[in-house]
Order: sequence, then C-alpha cells, then structure tokens
Amino acid sequence: MTVRRVLILAPAVLIIFLLQSYFWVPTYEEQTRGNPGRLNEYIAASIGDASILNPILSADSASGDINSMVFEGLIDRDEELRFRGRLATSWEIYEDAYFYINEEARIPGVGRAGVQQVETLLQRAKAGESPVSPELRTSLGNIREISIVPPREFLVTKSEKAKDEEAAEVKIRVSSPARIRLVLNRVDQDLFDNLSYILGKKYFDSFDAQGCLTVDDEKWQEKLPAYADEILPVTEHNPIVVFHLRPDVKFHDGHVFDANDVKFTCEAIINPKNLSPRIATYEPVKRVEVVDPLTVRIVYKRLYSPALETWGMGIIPEHLLNDEALKKEAIRLGKDPEKFSMRQSSFSRNPIGCGPFVFRQWKSDRHIILDRFDDYWEGPPNYRLYIYRIIPDVLTQEMEFYAGTIDHYGVPPHQVRRLKDDPKYQSFSGLSLGYTYIGYNMRREPFNDPRVRRALGMAINVDKIIKYVLHDQGERITGPFVKQTDYYNHGIPPVPYDPEGALKLLDKAGWEPNKEGWLEKDGKRFQFTLITNSGNPLREALLAIAQDAWKKIGIDVRTDRVEWAVFIEERVDKADFDALILGWLMGLEPDLYEVWHSSQTDPYQLNFVGFKNREADDLIIKVRQEYDHDRQVAYCRRLHEIIAREQPYTFLYVGKWTAVLDMRIVIQETDSLGNVVYKKITPTKTGNFTFYFNKWRKLPELPSFAAEG
Amino acid sequence: MTNDYTKAISKDSDANAPAVPRRSRLRESWQLLKQNRLAVVGLVIFVLFFCTAFIGLVLTTGTNPIFDPAMVRLQEKLRPPLSRPNLEALRPEEVPGAGVYLLGTDDLGRDLFARMLQGAWVSLTVGFVAVGISVLVGILVGGIAGYFGQNHTSIDTLIMRFVDIMLCFPSFFLILTVVALLPASMYNIMIVIGLTSWMGSARFVRAEFLSLREQDFVTAARALGVNDWRIIFRHMIPNAIAPVLVSATIGIATAILTEAGLSFLGFGVPPPHATWGNILSDGRRFIFDAPWLTFAPGFAILIVVLSFNLFGEGLRDILNPKLRERY
Amino acid sequence: MLSFIGRSIIQKTVTLFFVSVVSFLIIHLAPGEPSQVDPLNPKFTPEIVERFRKEFHLDKPMYVQYVYFYRDLFTGKTVSWKDNQSVLAKIWERFLNSLPLFIVGTVITWTLSFPVGIRAAVGRSGLYDRSTTFLSYLLISIPGFFFAYMLIIVVVTRFHVPVIGMETFGLGDAPWLHLIMDRVWHLLLPSVLGATGGIAILSRYVRSQMLEVEGQDYVRTARAKGVPEEQVHYKHALRNALLPFVTMFGLILPGLIGGSVIIESIFSWPGMGRMAYEAILARDYPIILTVNFISAVLVLAGTFISDLLYLVVDPRIRL
Repeated sequence: MTVRRVLILAPAVLIIFLLQSYFWVPTYEEQTRGNPGRLNEYIAASIGDASILNPILSADSASGDINSMVFEGLIDRDEELRFRGRLATSWEIYEDAYFYINEEARIPGVGRAGVQQVETLLQRAKAGESPVSPELRTSLGNIREISIVPPREFLVTKSEKAKDEEAAEVKIRVSSPARIRLVLNRVDQDLFDNLSYILGKKYFDSFDAQGCLTVDDEKWQEKLPAYADEILPVTEHNPIVVFHLRPDVKFHDGHVFDANDVKFTCEAIINPKNLSPRIATYEPVKRVEVVDPLTVRIVYKRLYSPALETWGMGIIPEHLLNDEALKKEAIRLGKDPEKFSMRQSSFSRNPIGCGPFVFRQWKSDRHIILDRFDDYWEGPPNYRLYIYRIIPDVLTQEMEFYAGTIDHYGVPPHQVRRLKDDPKYQSFSGLSLGYTYIGYNMRREPFNDPRVRRALGMAINVDKIIKYVLHDQGERITGPFVKQTDYYNHGIPPVPYDPEGALKLLDKAGWEPNKEGWLEKDGKRFQFTLITNSGNPLREALLAIAQDAWKKIGIDVRTDRVEWAVFIEERVDKADFDALILGWLMGLEPDLYEVWHSSQTDPYQLNFVGFKNREADDLIIKVRQEYDHDRQVAYCRRLHEIIAREQPYTFLYVGKWTAVLDMRIVIQETDSLGNVVYKKITPTKTGNFTFYFNKWRKLPELPSFAAEG
Repeated sequence: MTNDYTKAISKDSDANAPAVPRRSRLRESWQLLKQNRLAVVGLVIFVLFFCTAFIGLVLTTGTNPIFDPAMVRLQEKLRPPLSRPNLEALRPEEVPGAGVYLLGTDDLGRDLFARMLQGAWVSLTVGFVAVGISVLVGILVGGIAGYFGQNHTSIDTLIMRFVDIMLCFPSFFLILTVVALLPASMYNIMIVIGLTSWMGSARFVRAEFLSLREQDFVTAARALGVNDWRIIFRHMIPNAIAPVLVSATIGIATAILTEAGLSFLGFGVPPPHATWGNILSDGRRFIFDAPWLTFAPGFAILIVVLSFNLFGEGLRDILNPKLRERY
Repeated sequence: MLSFIGRSIIQKTVTLFFVSVVSFLIIHLAPGEPSQVDPLNPKFTPEIVERFRKEFHLDKPMYVQYVYFYRDLFTGKTVSWKDNQSVLAKIWERFLNSLPLFIVGTVITWTLSFPVGIRAAVGRSGLYDRSTTFLSYLLISIPGFFFAYMLIIVVVTRFHVPVIGMETFGLGDAPWLHLIMDRVWHLLLPSVLGATGGIAILSRYVRSQMLEVEGQDYVRTARAKGVPEEQVHYKHALRNALLPFVTMFGLILPGLIGGSVIIESIFSWPGMGRMAYEAILARDYPIILTVNFISAVLVLAGTFISDLLYLVVDPRIRL
C-alpha cells in the first residue's frame, strides 16, 4: 500500500535528516583544534541584552560592556589603580580661586581696603616681605598669578514656583564688587583659611552679598539669602583640569579625534535634552574650553576630587552627533527635528568610537559582534572578533560553556568549586566592592556608647560565618573603604571574637548579668530589635546567627524581617530601628560624604545610623576636596582609624567573585627580540582579569609559559 | 496550538455524552474503571497525592512545625538526600524533623522534603481553586446562555461573542501578561488561571443546556411552575456536569503545569510559599551540583499531572456510552 | 456562500475591535507603570519621568491613548518604548526567526502523529496501543522546561556539542552546507520539544477518529465484502477519518505567532515568544499590545479559514 508506505517513510526520512545534522556540528575539541578561526574569536555571554550603545546614555551593564570595547575614555586606571592616560597622554590639575573684595572689613594693619590695596598686599605677602606661618607660606608659594576682576553690573533671571502657582520669572539686578583672581599651581583647599591670616579672620564671612542684589518683586525678598549664596559666593575654588590629547587617534570611521569631541561629549551629558543618566556626576563642571585641537581645559565650579574619574567615560564623535548631523538624520527619517535627540539617533545601534573594537552587528536578544580595530592607537588586539551573546538562562550559559561556544560567563559561586578543580579551566577570584555590616542607631541607648558597640561586635564569630555560611567566598573588612585600594588601612586589626572580653567591656559600660543571666543596667534589661530586609537569605541567616551569638552573652535580641520597600521607607529613611543588617556597594573613589558626614543624618539621608564625629567630618570634607593622592590616602587612613575605633557598624565581610576561562586562553606578547611570548593571565589588584584583554588569545594547545618575571 | 487540539477532542466527546442518568451508573462506572488499569493507577496516585497534601499541610504549618519548609540553614546548603545534619553547626531547633534530610537540602539549606510537602498542598490549592473558578464561571455563563438563549437570542449572542473574544487571546501569553502586571501573589495566579480558562466549560454547558431544555423532564418541571433558577440548579446542572467534570480533572493538571511554567519564568507563586514549580525552577541552577533539587519536584509534577490526566481520560471513557459498548 | 463570508468577516471585525479594547484595558488598568516612567526607578529624575510620560502620551485620558495607539499601529509608526525601534520591524525580524521552528515543529507533529495514531487504532487495546497511550500522556504531563533541560544535559554532557541558540558560534567560514546542517541541528531539539505535546494530542485524536470511522457501517460492509484488512484501514477508514483534520489546518495558524516563551528562553532562541516575554518584563506596552493584536487577527483568520475549508470539504454542510 502506497499510503501506508508514505505514512511510515515520511517521518522516518524526516527524523533521519534531522538527526544526521549532528555529524556536522563541531564538539568542544573540534572547535579549537579543527578551526583556527575560532581561536581568534572571543565569545562572552550575558543574561540581558544591551539597550543603547551610546556611553553617555546607557545605564545597564550589558550596554556598558559593549561601550567599554567600542569607546575609549581620556583616562582609566592601571593595575595599581592609579590613573593612566588613554586618549589623553597627560593632564595637569590646577586651580583658579576667586574672592570678592569686602570693603567693609578691616584688614589687620591696613584697615578698610579697596581692590588695588588688597592686591598689593597679597603681592607683597607672596614676595615674602612679611614673616608668616609655614602653612600660609606654602599657600602663598603656590600662587602663580594674582589679578583683578573689575566690578560689573548684570541681570539674572530665575524661574520660581510658589505653591499652587504658575512658574514666575524673578529678575535680580546684581552689582558685583571687584574680585581678586588667584591662579594656583595646584589645587589648595586651605587657601582661603590661610589667607585669612593676612586679610583678617572675618574678612570672608562678613562679606555682604545680599547688599549687592536687588529683586524686582518684593514677594521674593525672603529668597534673597539663597540667591546671594548662589550668585555671589564670597570665595570660589575653580579647579581646572587640562588634558593633553593623544595625537592621530582615529574614530572607527577614520575621522581624527580631537578636543572638540571631548567638549561635545561633556556638553551632551549636561544637556538636559539628552536625559543622560550621568548628568549628576558632571554637574560640577562649569565649562569646557578647547585650547587647541589637542588640548582641552575643564573648569569646575567647586572642589570635587572624584570628578577626575568621570573622564574614564567613553568619548563620542562630535561630527556624527552634533545638532547639524541630528537634524539631517531627523529629516531623512521624516521626524520632527526639534524633538529629535541623540536618544532617537540610529547611532545608538551603530556606535562609532575610538576603542579597540569596531561595532559590526547587533541582533536584538541574540548577539552583538565587534571586529577588532586595526588602527587602534595602542596596536590592534589579538582577537579578531568579540562576540557578545545574549543567553537569558544561567543554566544554558553553563551548557554552552561546556560545549565550547562561549568563552566566558558569570560563574555562580556554587559551580566554582567544581570548575576550579577541572584541569581544563583556569579560574580567577577577587574581592568584590560591597561589604555587609550590622549598623547601630547611635541616637538610641545603649548604642551611643562605643564600648557597647564594640562588645556587640566581639560577640559575633565572623570567621565562622565566612567559613560555614559563605563557604570561604568572603573576607573580613574593618572599615568603609575598598579593601584593594590604598585608602584602606590594613594596619587596623579586625574586632576579635571574644565573648568574655565583650562581657568585660559591657561590665565597664554598666551592664551586669542578673539572676537569670540577662544583662541589666539600672534595672533595665539589655533588649533591642535587629532587623533586615526580607528576601535576602544571607542577611536572614546573619540575623539568626547574630541573635544567637548575643543571646549567649545575655542580650535579649528580637529579630524582624521587613519587606524591602517598607524597610527602606519606614525604618531606614526614618531612622526607626535599633540595629540593622545591610550592605553597601562602594566606589573606588574614597568619598564618604553621603554615608558618614554628620550633615547627612536627617531622615531620608544615608547616614541613618547617626554617626557624628567632628574630626571625621573634617576629614571627609578634606578627602573629597583633596586632589593629591598621597594626602588623600593619609586622610583616609586616619578616617578609617576613627571609624574603626567608634564602631558605628560592626563590619562583617566583603564577598568574593570568581571567573572561569579555558586554560588555553593566554596573554600573547612580543618581546624586544620579536619573539612571541606567552604569559598566564593574572588578575590586577581589584581582580580585573580582563585588564590585558587586548593581548589575549586562545591557543590550540596549552603553551609553555615564559618564566614569570 | 495545544489548546486547539484539546478543544477538538472535547467537542467530539461532549456530543456523545450521556443524556439520561441510569440507576446503576455508579456501580457500572466502577466496573468500567476497573477495566482501565491506567485510570485506576491514576486514581490511586490521585488519592495518595491528596493525602500527602493534607498531611503536608498539617506537618508544615503552625508556629513550630515538624517539618519547617522555611528554616534557612546556610551552613547546611546543598546536602544530598538522606544525609545526616551536621549537629554541631546547628541549633537544636534547626535540626530537621526526620533526623535526616530525606530529600536533601537546597541552596539555602532548607529541607527539601519539608518544602515538597508544603508544595504539594500549594500546588493542589492552585490547581483546585483555579479550576473551581473556571468551572463556576463556565457553568454560570454557559448555563445562562444555554437556558435563556432561546427566548432572548441577544443574551446568547452576547455571551458567545464574549467567549469568542476571550478565545482570541493566546492563553499562556495572557496569563503571563496579567500575572506580570499584577503584584505577585498566590491568589492572583489562581484567579488569573481560573478566569482565563472557563471558555471550554461554558461551551460544554451551553451545548448541554440547549439539548437538555428540550427534554421532557425539563418541560414537565416548567409546566409544574418550577422557577427558572430551580430548574437550572436542581434539574439541569446535575445532568450537564459530566463533561465539565472530565475537563476539570484535566484542567487541574494543566493548571499545575501552568503554575510551573510561570514559576520558571519568574512569575509563579512568590516565596515564602514553596510550590513544586518554584522549587524546580530555583533548583535547576544547581542541576550538576545538586540534581535532587531538579529531579524531586520534576518527577513529582510529572507523576501527579500524569495521574490526573489518566484518571480524567478514564472518566471520559466511562461517561461515554459509545465507548462503553465497545470496550 | 458569499453571504456567509461577508457575515463572518463583519462578525470577526467586531470581535477584533473588542479584543483590542479589552487588551488595552487589561494593560493600562493594571497597577504599576512601565519601567521608563516608574517613579521608584532611581535612575530617573522626576523631570525625566515627566518627559517620558508626555512622549508616550501617558498623561492623556485613556481613550485618547487608545486612539493614538491604534492610529500608530495601522500607519506602522508604533515604536517600542524600550529602544525606539519600530515595533512592526521588530516583530517581523522575530517572526522570521520563529518561522523555521514553527515549520519544523508542525511538520514533525503532523508526519509523526498519523502513523502512530493509525497503528494504535488498528491494533486497538494491544500492547502498542496501550504503550503509545501511556507515552502520549507522559509527554503531555511532563513540564516542558524540565524535559528540555534533561535533553540539553544529555546532549551536551554525552556528545559535547552545542545546542543553544540558532547556530554554533565561531564556525568561521565553513562551507554553506556545513552552516545549513549546523542550523538544522540547532532546530532539532527546540522543535522536537515544541512538537511533543502536539504529537501526543494529535495522535490520540487520529486514533479516536479512526476508531469512530471503523465503527461505521460502510467500513463493516467493506470488510464483509472481503476487502483485505490493510485496504480497509488505509483506504476506506483513513480517507473518511481525515476529513476533520483538513479543517484543523486553519487552526495551526495562531501557532505562527504564539511560539513558546519557555522553549525560546531556554534555547535563547530570539523568536516572537521571547520578545513578547521581554516586553512584558519591561512593560513595553506597544509590543505587548501589537503582539496581542496580531495574534487575535491570526486566531480569527484561522477559524475563518477552517470554517471555509469545512464548507469546501464537507458537502453535507451548506449554509
């Protein structure tokens, strides 16, 4: 019967056809051995797809991964975390400082003085005509130039919005007095403090800025002090960064990179039309000046040393994204040129930068392919292709890794142990940037006593937590700085596990065990509630462990797990807690202002434990205004000491991450004699194992490594 | 695609459904069921599953349950089945109920056996409540359309058009959308599954009613002046319920699978409730390091859903007079 | 006939209109906002949120939004909120990716179900029948993703070949036959997985349809006439049993756009299902609504076609 035969043959043929395709697919080994092309490709896996390939607009990590390959910043950090030049060959930082002449103030030995007199006074002091303190000497010696800014009259318009009213325009007439401009060789945050030795203690504070302003409408009179601070600040630091750019760097389209691109990038971020998520970190920028095609000068509104790091931001090509280009594109696409912004531009899906890899193709939810850039200024990378695959499922990523079609994926910790022992792979691990802590509400009894806080820390066996709960995927930490940086003070020993010692400390603080074994002071039992957010099992486990540990020394602890939104809004933001378990993610910059400064203790601010320490405050401000690395490090270490002494938190641990790669991926370099040398991949200080990515390549077989030097 | 085939089969069988119940039906049904060995096995597992779920409910709830499915012991994570707890690292109240981890522990050191027990109850509830909702809505809508439809064609048309509209949505996609947009909760999932799957029962009931209302006993009841609602509930629904029951049994199986699918995509019953679906979808990450986390819930779902399907199919055969003669 | 077509089209257009209203309501009445305008999202300042709301017309009343949306949809101007790409272009691209999966899956389903179902019907209650019955229930009952993982793990750990995605990455410039076969291999697992449920159900249906027909008088007559068994089954019974399946061709149409969210996520197959799923995650309303609308159109078109086929095939029905 034909019908019958067809019915049986059709599926059989189909199945055989489908199954035979197996023989065409390469196995793990065949991919590396039988196919030299594959060795020149690096395939990474990601859970999520990129969203926008424009470094100034992207906010997600997948877009960030690609942008860091396609675009290049002016600077980045080297193995030791120092800044190093990329598109900039070098940079210098100096300062323009200004102050207004206060004609009402009496200058010691001079009396009331006009601008000319003040200028001569300073010139003389600089020339060393009068004996001064060493600090003032340094500050004066640092002054390169003194000049006068003449007084001027101008009009400022502000838009104000009173309750339930339309926005109104406020016109402010300003008649500013003369100003002295000081050009400094390097940034000096103590300048005005020191100058007040010459000009008198009250010279700056008594300046009447409000007197120089007139508002057209009486209604806004009460706003005057705020306007005065904003329009006529008596003293002003304008740190200036001058970048000298690398010559002959090309964008992928062959256009030569120059200072206009830097200026454009910065202005595009600040431009509110572009809705850049990075706008906050560029807010201190006052203006960007192009000095010549290879020199760009950035003037800041105030002292803010973390600003330098923002220049690691990828530079975008001005010639493709300026208003004119966007207008053309809008017209071509038939869209309203007024509304058309960089966000709508097709550039975001076809980026052009000057990084080591050239964008080739982006298939949504599938892959992004980059080719190497043969004209890359540092020499082209070894890999010809960089492929970024989007695989939304962790398990299938793992399967693809075993099948050899991805070279790298984010290995979850539980797989680490198994893969580490596999001779096929090499693994890297490093400390992450986040730490976990127990924070105490220092506004409340008995947490206002540092001895109590230390004792609470001493009762918890953190080493055991790391061993059993984290399975050694963590390390102890003693303070709020990134452990791999210089800012971290390694001289501070962690709080020891010592329940006996804890009891002694508590005894000194007045807490004694009662008959039932609970600690008591003035007839009141030591009792409080420890909270954390629900949904984080690690923190929930810590909750139980801490409760148990404290119970053992006679403290009656209750615990509570609160849903995240409620936890933040009701408990943390309103500082309504005794003690809590939380974590912070740190940046490499040592700016502690938001979390540790005493001005940040109000509701909804981040210093919710209420840490207030005058010396610490002072240091925190100094750190963020200091541009000199060594001095910053000294301030930070001191700050670390204070925080460790005060124990506002019990610092628990920093977690670890691990990456796994095929053993045959190595660093390939050419030595001075022109021989090819292979080196093992080693992570840098922060554990960045991809630091030398451009020199990586995969070999068909494991090579013999050059002697480690 | 799957749905359409099911519909096709159901349409086929409901036309053949019995019209008038017979006295010896129950016994006869039992006889018939006994002949279908797969269905008997299905029924046995079905009953066992019920018992497990109830016992599980008792053992895993309360302030200090014998098996605590929520007890996190991070130091005991990913222990294989039947391993003994490390007593020195645990506080006394953390030691598992049976003295050993019967099915091992998960990535947070929770006792998998306890979680499976709790999950049995949750899966059962999800299945039953969802199907309960869908059957109730189906009977109500189908009943109204079928009973009043003849005199008021507009009601029937309106209702059946609405059914058509609902059928236009791809069901899993619709469930996914709604569940993703609503806040995650077990009740939302049950309600959403229920409210998106009543169209089949509505159609059965309407068809049954259309034929039943022509039957003599309905005419007689109406002649006696029995009011409409009493006729519907007392006389017609009991006669129309059979095909609905069959589809409900299979519907429970589908609901359990749907919940597992939703869990896989991250929209299932949210913690702290354990369901087999979310145990499975959480556990798959550890498939090489802790295969028990995938296999235990995977096979549990497979077996239970299979038993529901087999039993449901057996029921269908019993209720189908044509097949009765044949077997 | 013509009046039937006309009535049917009008009716279906009305249904479609209501579907569009209902789906619009479901999405816009649900609590929460798209992530781009979520005030809780720390990345966005209130002004940015305000700007987005304006751009997406979210500040307008609901019916205006509805009109705007469908106006944009019909003029092809709808853009995704997530990346400003044209929705129709995105759907088309994904549709082309899902298409081979759909075709291979459907072909497997239909070619496999018939022999299996017929054989089961012929040897009714025999070992083969009972084991295929059991097997088909097993296939319906197994959670799809569980089964998928089992298969992937077996293939990867035993055979060490890649199975995820649409092709093996890094094949370089292998000959075209090689590339095609590689693609076929990557199609194999997901389409088989997608077909399992269909095979199980369809083969059961074939079986019951065959049994139904074999009980008919004309089959009995043929047998009594002394027609060989095989001819009875394949000529007399099968032909008549095939009738209802013809109409089912219309019903596979919606499968074109449905795809399987789960299978596509596991195999990271960039198809329709996954796009829809990611749109749901990102609350990308234009994509969700468009996919919903297109699939409703396909469902209605499918039933329309199957009604028509029924008209053509079955001479007993004349409307």
